[in-house]
Amino acid sequence: MEFLSTNILLSSSFIDWIVNINPSLFSMGESLKAIITRFPTFWKAGLITLQLTSAGILFGLLIGLLFGLMRVSEIKFMRYPAKAYIFLIRGTPLLLQLFIIYYGITSIITIRSFPSAVIALGIHNGAYIAEIFRGAIQSIDKGQMEAARSLGMSKTKAMERIIMPQAFKRAIPSLGNQFIIALKDSSLASTITISELLLRARQIGNTHFILMEMLIVVAIWYLILTSLFTYLIHRLEVHFKTS
Amino acid sequence: MILLENIKKNFGKLKVLKGVDLKVDEGEVVVIIGPSGSGKSTLLRCINFLETAEKGSRISIDGKVIHRQKNDINMLRRNVGMVFQHFNLFPHMTVLQNVMEGPTQVLHMKKDKARKQGIELLEKVGLADKHNAYPQMLSGGQKQRVAIARALSMNPQIMLFDEPTSALDPELVGEVIEVMADLAREGMTMIVVTHEMWFAKEAADRVCVMDDGLIIEEGTPEQIFDSPTTERAQQFLQKIVVN
Ligand SMILES: Nc1ncnc2c1ncn2[C@@H]1O[C@H](COP(=O)(O)OP(=O)(O)OP(=O)(O)O)[C@@H](O)[C@H]1O
Ligand SMILES: [Mg+2]
Repeated sequence: MEFLSTNILLSSSFIDWIVNINPSLFSMGESLKAIITRFPTFWKAGLITLQLTSAGILFGLLIGLLFGLMRVSEIKFMRYPAKAYIFLIRGTPLLLQLFIIYYGITSIITIRSFPSAVIALGIHNGAYIAEIFRGAIQSIDKGQMEAARSLGMSKTKAMERIIMPQAFKRAIPSLGNQFIIALKDSSLASTITISELLLRARQIGNTHFILMEMLIVVAIWYLILTSLFTYLIHRLEVHFKTS
Repeated sequence: MILLENIKKNFGKLKVLKGVDLKVDEGEVVVIIGPSGSGKSTLLRCINFLETAEKGSRISIDGKVIHRQKNDINMLRRNVGMVFQHFNLFPHMTVLQNVMEGPTQVLHMKKDKARKQGIELLEKVGLADKHNAYPQMLSGGQKQRVAIARALSMNPQIMLFDEPTSALDPELVGEVIEVMADLAREGMTMIVVTHEMWFAKEAADRVCVMDDGLIIEEGTPEQIFDSPTTERAQQFLQKIVVN
């Protein structure tokens, strides 16, 4: 048995089946030049990625806040729909959700590609953000609600004044994490013809036979954008810590 | 002024309160003592509906029976101040904001007036100079004094204290007990769960001993501490005197 498998792994035809080494096409200087000269031309695509992500996150925050609050409600008719939503959305891939919105429901309505992507990102991140809010709300000491109630506040007022400000602060690191995931996930919009970073890289790369170089270019763009996000979230954290 | 009749409370199958009767007159200070698990906290929590007592239990204030509906409960809570073992101050607000929150949000008091009243209350508990501090910067004793000021900010008719000093370092107990004794002297109606004997002896008009969900004995501090009649009370008092 062992003898047999080693033999198969080492056979040259099997290696050829996996990889195809072709060093003659590679020139370090040419590649570097392509990367540097083409880098700035991606600013427009970068802007689209940023717009897509921001709109998706904003939408996701709204949905997440709504479903997060429903999820911690004591009323079953509020809690169960939120549970179902989170179950459905977290249990299926974003790409599938995107296809359903852009291609799937065309028999009922047709949504243009950009809004489709924003909706998909919003719905998808909304489920995760709802869970982040739920966790943050439930992590607040029960005594806080009791103290607020003992002052005569209604439950809604206590949520608004006492629980949510604390929960929000506690949610910031996880929200930041989710925003960065959303930024990277926005690349899936390339599959529905949105000229964001990844699609532009493939277009330019394929026309000029510099695909690898362009993939590196957008990798750098993504790194810049994620670093920007990380920085902003850090600032927000510091701001809330000192206030 | 406050009348508890046949207060019962079950947690599932566990019968925690088995029909407590207690009458507290205006300006009276009642101290409740009793072994751990006897239901002291549950009784206080039932009084301001942080727990809902079983059907058949009756709580009335100034002859008016409090029903289990929102309006009654919120009205009752405004009239009943509660001080918790673990302070439950609002950590995202300054000391002064903690003391202004109830009046501004629940009683819709003007900010200026609430601030003025807040400063006065903080003076009363000896913490006016800390009004801009956040709770996490205070010692336990200071936190509890702010919590007392916060409860007083609603101008309650009755104050409930649930072991207000048992989470404090021994050297900080005195400052809190002193504030409570001052309140008692001013004629505040108080129900206090505490094992601080000297507060009971100094300030209490009446001491109630709870055991296993019932008040098994009540009387003046002298009667209870010097010559308890029931065997359970004798056993329990021996223990706390030894400690
Ligand atoms: N929310 C709850 N759910 C279930 N059981 C509870 C709950 N709150 C209290 N109990 C139980 O009720 C009993 C009485 O609790 P309670 O806190 O009133 O006692 P206590 O006299 O205040 O004791 P301690 O001196 O330890 O504070 C205990 O057995 C406790 O485990
Ligand atoms: Mg207790």
